[in-house]
Amino acid sequence: MKAINKIIFVYFGTLAGILLWIAAIFFAPYLKSQTSEWNRLIYAVFSLICHQIPSRCFYVYGYPLAVCARCLGVYFGFLTGTVFYPFLKGFSKISLPRIKTFILMSLPIVADKIGNVFHLWMTPGWLRFITGLIWGIILPFFFIAGLSDYFINKMKNPEI
Amino acid sequence: MIDQKPRMFMPALIGGAVAGILSGVPFINCLCCIWIIGGAILSAYLLSKDSSVALSAGDGAIVGVFTGIIAAVVDFIVSIPFSAMSSEFTRSIMEKLADYAEEMPKGWENLLERGGIEKSIPMLMLGFVISVVIFSVLGALGGIIGISVFKKKASQNDQGVIDVPKNTDNAEHR
Repeated sequence: MKAINKIIFVYFGTLAGILLWIAAIFFAPYLKSQTSEWNRLIYAVFSLICHQIPSRCFYVYGYPLAVCARCLGVYFGFLTGTVFYPFLKGFSKISLPRIKTFILMSLPIVADKIGNVFHLWMTPGWLRFITGLIWGIILPFFFIAGLSDYFINKMKNPEI
Repeated sequence: MIDQKPRMFMPALIGGAVAGILSGVPFINCLCCIWIIGGAILSAYLLSKDSSVALSAGDGAIVGVFTGIIAAVVDFIVSIPFSAMSSEFTRSIMEKLADYAEEMPKGWENLLERGGIEKSIPMLMLGFVISVVIFSVLGALGGIIGISVFKKKASQNDQGVIDVPKNTDNAEHR
């Protein structure tokens, strides 16, 4: 397989993964509204990586989503970044984002989190979502580039 | 070239242990996935510190995956006593509330069962496998970020651009 095909493979794998992930977040409250016991499994899976405090979650079908507003923003940001990846980076080369860009896009979520943890202010859900969204946008540019680099290096040096 | 690269196990072990402990302890774990990503960044830093050569983003991904796996194991172990403590705490609260049973809303006694799945061995193992997968993905992300932050710059990789070979079919057919 050509190197460019590896990048395309990683890209579409990432896109499919994040779409399934977001679908599962919305599927949990839907199943709960249908009184299906499977909702517990989805909520339990997402509890591994999110506090799921109901007051900090958006509600769909009358029940909280499987992750908080900030995490939801991160995942939607990740999806947004993944969608725009081919237009901004293309598949002919791999390049990691500049660290300055990463720090700049991390500032809103870090500042908001610190403010909330130390009770300096209490951010509404939509603002938590926005800060998560901004941070999430940069993440697939690392993820896709890093995984593509790994698979291409493995192809060049199969013994690794 | 490959031999010059440091071993990944120790950095992954340290980063994974830190991430796993912080993810498993109640109240501290309210920062969601940040501990796993942070632990993988720590692993990437330790890996980069011990390396005499420039590491690639792929190296960051691998050390991040290892970090995620170790973090999942540590988190699983750390969560066991805290889970028992949490259940005991909830039970004592519910027993106290039982004194005011007549004033409580209908169905309050079901609160203990709500919101969680039964802690049977198969469910625990399933949860562990799922956490290994999720933590590995998050770890890979953290490892890549960490390498891009802490990597030693090689002369031709100053801008973080990685060469993509046009055609490497021959490498595969060897």
